[in-house]
Amino acid sequence: MVFKFLAKSAIGSLGRRRGCVLAALLAAGATAHAQTAPSRPTAPTRPDTLTTRAHRLPEAQVRAVRPERFAVGSRRLEVDSAVLAQYRGGTATDVLGGRLGLYIKNYGPGQLATISLRGTAAQHTAVLWNGLNIMLPTLGQNDLSLLPISGNTQLAVQLGPAAALYGSGAVGGAIVLRTEPDWRPGLRGSVQADAGSFGLRGGNVEARAASATLAVRVAASYRQAQNDYPYLVREPAGLVRYTMQNAALRHQWSFSPDLAWRVGAAGELTASVWLTDADREIQQGTSVAGSNAREIDQSRRLVLGYRRTTSGGGQWSVRGAWFEDIINYSDQGAISNSRVRTTQSQADYTAPLGPRGSLRLGLEAQHFAALVDGYGDEPIAENRAAAFALLRYDPRPTLRLSANLRQAALPAGLAPLTPTVGLEWDVYQPLNSASDSLPPAQRPGLTLKASAARTYRAPTLNERYWRPGGNPDLLAEAGGGYEVGLRHRLGSAAHLALETELTAFSQLVDNWVQWLPLGAGGAYSPRNLRQVRSQGLEASSALRLRQGRYRGAARISYAFTSTQKTQGIAADTDPVGVQLAYVPLHRATFSTDHAWRGWLASTAFTFSSFAYTDASASSFLPAVGLLGATLGRTVPLPHHTGLTLLVQSTNLLNRRYDSYPARPAPPRAFSVSLRFDYQ
Amino acid sequence: MKKSLLALLLGATVLVGCDPKNEDAGPSVPASPGVYILSEGQFGKGDGTISAFGTASKALLTDAFGTINNGSALGDVIQDMGIAGTQGYICVNASNKVEVVSVPDFKSLATIRNIRQPRYFAATSATRGYVTSWRGPYTSYQPGKVMVLNLTTNTVIDSITVGRNPEQLIALNGLLYVPNSYDNTVSIIDAATNKVTSTVTVSDGPRNVVADQAGNIWALCSGFTVYNTVSPYNVISSTPGALVRFAAASPATQLKLAFAGGSPSQLRISPDKTQLYYGFNGAEYKMSTTATALPTTPFIRRNFNGFGIDPRDNTLYAAVSTGYTTNGRFLRYPAAGGAVIDSFTVKVGPNGFVFY
Repeated sequence: MVFKFLAKSAIGSLGRRRGCVLAALLAAGATAHAQTAPSRPTAPTRPDTLTTRAHRLPEAQVRAVRPERFAVGSRRLEVDSAVLAQYRGGTATDVLGGRLGLYIKNYGPGQLATISLRGTAAQHTAVLWNGLNIMLPTLGQNDLSLLPISGNTQLAVQLGPAAALYGSGAVGGAIVLRTEPDWRPGLRGSVQADAGSFGLRGGNVEARAASATLAVRVAASYRQAQNDYPYLVREPAGLVRYTMQNAALRHQWSFSPDLAWRVGAAGELTASVWLTDADREIQQGTSVAGSNAREIDQSRRLVLGYRRTTSGGGQWSVRGAWFEDIINYSDQGAISNSRVRTTQSQADYTAPLGPRGSLRLGLEAQHFAALVDGYGDEPIAENRAAAFALLRYDPRPTLRLSANLRQAALPAGLAPLTPTVGLEWDVYQPLNSASDSLPPAQRPGLTLKASAARTYRAPTLNERYWRPGGNPDLLAEAGGGYEVGLRHRLGSAAHLALETELTAFSQLVDNWVQWLPLGAGGAYSPRNLRQVRSQGLEASSALRLRQGRYRGAARISYAFTSTQKTQGIAADTDPVGVQLAYVPLHRATFSTDHAWRGWLASTAFTFSSFAYTDASASSFLPAVGLLGATLGRTVPLPHHTGLTLLVQSTNLLNRRYDSYPARPAPPRAFSVSLRFDYQ
Repeated sequence: MKKSLLALLLGATVLVGCDPKNEDAGPSVPASPGVYILSEGQFGKGDGTISAFGTASKALLTDAFGTINNGSALGDVIQDMGIAGTQGYICVNASNKVEVVSVPDFKSLATIRNIRQPRYFAATSATRGYVTSWRGPYTSYQPGKVMVLNLTTNTVIDSITVGRNPEQLIALNGLLYVPNSYDNTVSIIDAATNKVTSTVTVSDGPRNVVADQAGNIWALCSGFTVYNTVSPYNVISSTPGALVRFAAASPATQLKLAFAGGSPSQLRISPDKTQLYYGFNGAEYKMSTTATALPTTPFIRRNFNGFGIDPRDNTLYAAVSTGYTTNGRFLRYPAAGGAVIDSFTVKVGPNGFVFY
């Protein structure tokens, strides 16, 4: 429950800092200009569309139609598989924060880490695994430190309200995790061992095998870390050095076997399992003495799916899933245990609408069974269901439209209806380019994109059933927003491509749930109290370069996020009109990747402006810029094998900063990985 | 690409320079007469603060300890501060330490560490102090301690076992009166021997004791609200609060004024020791030390998280805490109550006042 009090808001007078913003924008402008100078265009690859996929899948008769096909006009961040491979010993925290530069409220390495997309709270980012929502039903959020990268092969972030596509919780956006079958025939595998600063030890193995009809992948990873790093505290006599206590990651396991089986000419059966298990000491803040809190987190996830293509070109898909999430917390004899079992089922049918469109109609249902100390001795059960319709229609190859709708039924009534519309229009495409063979959506030129959506978040089990205070009458939070943007692509040949995107967004969350002492006997109780508005600007530019045996990429991004409470009630004392806590106004990222012969080098610099830590806009975490880097060398060995050595560093500039109040972050740290590949 | 990096770093540098500035008026503690306002801060964030307010100048230094001591943080959950001579003793509850500062300028003098869950401070002289200390986790509280401090060396020289969860103690005529808030007793300690000489049974949950003009001891007992020690942490049982009076010479003879439900808190006494103040059911009450029944009408109809009376002019200071995510305020009222004189913003969770 404490989480909810902490997950609050804060502060900030914007006008005073306008000069800084301007200076930063000017600097970013200069950068963009510097990048546009070279111009030998190449074809950008967009793995999220049907058309590019086709050449990779010769027998693509049961190729899945991804939900992102219906997300026209909204912003999406995809993590390149080569980049993901560098993080296979890490967690989603490392990639989303350290690499993409998204704002993560992080209590320390391996400790609780929650994301804020477009200024929203941790409960406003849906997390999907193979199409199913895996947010903890109790807390309605995910600890990104409990999502090891090795468990999945794809990671993408969809920004903006998207409940029509992703269901409850996709208010600020959604994190989309997926294990994609690898149909390349033969056997592949890797074994990796990691060691690093402050007692980091780990390793992972992966094996893939495929025949014409069967593709199997098994991945497992292990990690432990003492996290006994030094930190400095300013005391009256000066800076005093301490060593972090009670912050160890005692162990973290991930095990994820996946199987895809082509049944006949038109069917595909898939089964995926993802087991995670973490045992952590919980750091309560370096100013708190005497705590020895510890937490065990275990998740077991299983999904079975079947897809079948009809003779008319349509596609049926059904899925059934079973999850179990366990959180067992203890501190000095105080124990809080929780176990939730979730069963989910989904069924949808995707019909072609001539050559220009497709329509998907679907249903899903969820059943939760929770045995949580905080709810009393009796188990709690809850059901939710939803129906959705997704439409994609391209009147012309250069004009793509989508319109989606979802209606969810929750125990306390219907959730708000969540329609979404989106548009992408290629305003300008240069003639006579080498890119005519590309589908229009990927040709160089200028594209206008826009989308508008409504969204919702179902009340969590804690919000409904926690004793005391749980409020079964709580309404779903309702949200809505729109974004407009421009995307510019330059280059269509094989050597160079530059893609620049500028997006402005505005969104509102209404009925924002807040815990206040309004329950019986003054107990804290969640109420639909607030309206919160988030507005901002996102700019990014990505350059890809190929020259001889060199492959390079550079990506720069900047985000301005202004989030404020706009309405509340008298009992809710957080002020309106100030920047929320833990939402920095400015963030910027600059990353580069280079590969040449067997060498690999990557850098990622992330900058975050100050973030308030209370709702009054008074205390704050100072601005910080962090640099991470990877250097690697692959040596080919006989019999299709190879050896790769990776050296990685975090906080390379050795910045002294708190990732959260009283949670000093580690100083410069290194890790070394050695990987043996077979393919 | 180097150019890009340069531009980005440049932009970043400009932004780094844009952290909010400290809005405090000046770099020093306002001159005496003044009052220190204690703000607990947000648990786990180490941001407890003490503000200093000049009652004549109306100058406010929001973070006195940090400003005077090179930006040092005071610690987690500021529970109490007491003054002995020219030294201030600050009980920093969750950080298990007592910070020692000079008064009024708030320069750090020492840190007394490893006092578990320190609660309240009292001194019998300028060289001898006492701090109550809770023992055991909240799931199983153990008999607490009164730690004996040498205020010259600022070290712990002895400890005395008392009842569970000892709270706001007072020193009177060579004796210490220690209310044991998880029991129904007041431990009486002889400061000459540092031994418990007697244990007086009062009513459930005594938290504060004060001594009046006539030499009587008043103990405010909040009653017990027993919560389940494991979740759902529900209320298992509750007993009513009481205000208990006894003479130092005959502690067994008591006047016991019971409250109808609720949980009274924050017993204070006027500087002339003739008026009692306490909070109850969302209001502040005032009662003469000669009264034999509880007042039925509130003195100020408002809930305060802390209350103090300026010994120099009887101005009333009241702390308003608006939840643990927003800054709090303190209000000043004339001695007779009535309309607020003025109010000032301080950090999160103001809970007490110490006059200097």
